[in-house]
Amino acid sequence: MTAIHLQGLTKRFGPFTALQPMDLEIRDGEFLALLGPSGCGKSTTMNMIAGMEKPTGGRILFGDRDMGAVPMARRGVGFVFQNYAIFTHMTVRQNLDYGLRMAGVDPGPRTAAMAELLGLTDLLDRPSQGLSVNILQRLAIGRSAIMEPAIFLLDEPLSNVDAAFRAVMRTELKSLQRQFRQTMVYVTHDQLEAMTMADRIAVMDHGVLQQVGTPLQVYNRPANTFVARFLGAPGMNLLPGHAVQSGSAVQVDLGPIGLTPPLPGPASGPVTYGFRPEEVTLDPASPLKLPVTHVERIGARCIVHLGPVKAVFPAGTEIPSGVVGFTPGKPCLFDAKGGRI
Amino acid sequence: MASIEFRNVCKSFGTVKAVVDASFKVEDNAFFCLFGPPLSGKTTILRLILGLETPDSGEILIDGKPALGVAERNVAMVFQNLALFPHMTARDNIRFPLVERRQPEAQIAPRVASVAEKLHITHILHKHPGQLSGGERQRVAIARALVRDPAAYLMDDPISALDARLREEARVELKRIQREAGRTLVYVTHDQEEAMSVADQMAVLDQGRIVQIGTPSELYDRPQTPYVARLLGSPPMNLSTSGAFGPGQVGIRPEDLTVTQSDTGAALITGVEPLGGYTVLTLAQGPETFRALLRGQPEVSPGTRATLSATKTHPFTADGHRQTGA
Amino acid sequence: MKLGLRLTLPAQVLVLFISVFPLLMQLYISLTDWSPLSGAPWPRAWEFWNSFANYTDIPGDRRLWAALGRTLLVMVICVPVEFLLGLGLGLLFVEDFPGKKLAYSILIMPMMVVPAVAGYMFFMLFQSGGPVNDLLSVFGPVTIAWLSDPWLALVAVMVADIWQWTPLMFLILLAGLVGVPQDQLRAATLLGASPWQRFRTITLPRMKVIITIALAIRAIEAFKIFDTLYIMTGGGPGVATETISVYFYKITTNDLIWGYVAALALFILVSLSIAAQFAMKRMAR
Repeated sequence: MTAIHLQGLTKRFGPFTALQPMDLEIRDGEFLALLGPSGCGKSTTMNMIAGMEKPTGGRILFGDRDMGAVPMARRGVGFVFQNYAIFTHMTVRQNLDYGLRMAGVDPGPRTAAMAELLGLTDLLDRPSQGLSVNILQRLAIGRSAIMEPAIFLLDEPLSNVDAAFRAVMRTELKSLQRQFRQTMVYVTHDQLEAMTMADRIAVMDHGVLQQVGTPLQVYNRPANTFVARFLGAPGMNLLPGHAVQSGSAVQVDLGPIGLTPPLPGPASGPVTYGFRPEEVTLDPASPLKLPVTHVERIGARCIVHLGPVKAVFPAGTEIPSGVVGFTPGKPCLFDAKGGRI
Repeated sequence: MASIEFRNVCKSFGTVKAVVDASFKVEDNAFFCLFGPPLSGKTTILRLILGLETPDSGEILIDGKPALGVAERNVAMVFQNLALFPHMTARDNIRFPLVERRQPEAQIAPRVASVAEKLHITHILHKHPGQLSGGERQRVAIARALVRDPAAYLMDDPISALDARLREEARVELKRIQREAGRTLVYVTHDQEEAMSVADQMAVLDQGRIVQIGTPSELYDRPQTPYVARLLGSPPMNLSTSGAFGPGQVGIRPEDLTVTQSDTGAALITGVEPLGGYTVLTLAQGPETFRALLRGQPEVSPGTRATLSATKTHPFTADGHRQTGA
Repeated sequence: MKLGLRLTLPAQVLVLFISVFPLLMQLYISLTDWSPLSGAPWPRAWEFWNSFANYTDIPGDRRLWAALGRTLLVMVICVPVEFLLGLGLGLLFVEDFPGKKLAYSILIMPMMVVPAVAGYMFFMLFQSGGPVNDLLSVFGPVTIAWLSDPWLALVAVMVADIWQWTPLMFLILLAGLVGVPQDQLRAATLLGASPWQRFRTITLPRMKVIITIALAIRAIEAFKIFDTLYIMTGGGPGVATETISVYFYKITTNDLIWGYVAALALFILVSLSIAAQFAMKRMAR
């Protein structure tokens, strides 16, 4: 178990900056998700932690050891690839005990124990080609875990998995992490995976670390409009408006939609008014009005589109048609640059 | 402008039964969704409608008449990978089916213009597919399918390649397009949320068999088998056989479980997954595991006890069918 | 009739004609003592019928067995050397290094040289007063008669073959090496495997098929070695570098014993086919 410290970590490919100087502490035994859209620098960050890519600047420390000069074979990092990188020309057992064999260690007892833990005992002598994806995932994790790495890195391991099966795999992955209790860094572009599995989430965009916090901190108090939109399904509603001071409070003029109820805090000029779809209530008396444009009934939820605004209600809610009044709950204000006020 | 009807259609490939005794009717102008796990026969049904496969037995009727050959069938297809020609502009891609059919230029231009307008892509017609976003490419592909005025068009998982956020937008867009453009649309997807969002009618498939047909809410509220019950909804429906919620096999949707925290409760909270607007709890009660979907962000922590009760249950018979009258 | 068969029927007939007819013709002639000098056209070769006499001569043909031995020697030395060199170069070229493109172009050039020209080049290089001896003179005065010494001539011929065909081996093996999944190599590295262990446990097993193909192609080609060699030594001195192909060439053009040549050709064809079958089976394992 080891903490990871990233200090001013930077990566440039020629003129392109893949990662702006980044500082991040990943705590001992923590499950941290690096979350962001493709091209945000999350995979680059992870590859540098593993030693597969050299940083252009900054330092990576495991505990108090600087990893700058340590090659990837010596970092003691477990890595689960997006495609699992199973050695398909070997059996399950040969995959599982690969690291031990290469190190010249007797693999017998440890392989048996790991296979037992992962429910692979009956499959040990099967060829690894053609196994189902959840078995492959377990095998990929087991193959790294058997080396007892202090740090586990996972690169979008669920992105090739069928949507229906992803929930099962998420649960399995989370329970494996509880068993191993290693420091885990998990790269994903799926906010649901990050929310449900991670102890903390580091949200990235365009090579810049946007925010770090527990899932609910990041969800409830997004640092900027990017984070606000990226988390949640659907993401936060963001409406452009004009802040108007009224006494000690602020109201936002949303143009044709109306004037919002007062919010605390000083603000002026152009702002973005944000609120979660789940926090919307329909209220004919509200000054904010929009027409119902579309209704999606999806199992337990009902997503109502009010022009640019989305609202989520429990299934079975009666939705009036035409123009309706609505009240946003727990609103946030963002300045012209998108930062939270 | 066509209904599509299958009567006892069977199709096998060697020993693999791809479609078994499929009977259903897609009404004119309906958004009909085929939903099921991979290899459940969805794509084979599409290929049968297109005429790329012929049924081993049974009948396919289009507009009440036996289906003709591929070329005369007038059914268009939007492929999973969209299959746009990368060296042509969006306009030339859309024009392509008409040019191929040697239609006079005087008819092509207005037709392309009207389809482009319906799909809101008039401003990007001069661009090549490489310069378009995923959603725009998809609309161009749909425009190309619609331009020749097909009686029906088919889509094979057309938005699966988009990321989650774009998919949410794209499915609403698809629904709007279908509603405005009319035409019968047969749509294949493996994403239950997408299927329920867009479909007027949906058919759930299991190993080549259609196990239930109905509107999304009929299927969600009154699933005929535990299989259908668990395919729709996230997290999937809990199935209890311990008798805690009634005799036999009883299904309870996670949102229909009421969790009351109590030190003497029979259930132990083992997992708390915050989704932001919702929270998923995992609970162990006796030998069974339940998942409950709660609104908001309730203050619960793993390791505490609770009592479970259900506001609605789905009783199934021992052989896996919904109990009559339930 | 199946559609596939019906569509390919004309081609099948053509292939049958091209491949089966010459074989039958050869079989016919091999049972005679016919030669183009005998005055009769080949269809009348039956006038010179000597049944299996040509075949019974084969075991006693010492020049043949010596040529076969030499050919096999060239094969078992050249092919492994080309393989090891090709593999080494391949491993070098899967990594990036400055000047890689240029080095690559230079490296595959020998393959493009017409074999006869290559023969002439090496003929010049190995002259007594030629560049090879000049180069060796660095260690003291030498005048090695490369091409007139029976064993050294064979060495010179093999050097030329290796020079010309290592690039082909390199190209095939490089294609195989590039196809080894990077993620698997990285996974092995992260699991602590050394470069040699990675090569042995990931690269080699993944290249099994392509290595088999490369070795088979080169073994078959090496068995047929002719043009470069013939220009360098003409099979000499004496018969010291005479390989199967050279021997055939000589008895066909100089001795004109066509009945025997036909018998020999069939014999070699059959034995090679059996050997190849056997070798492929072993290598596939």
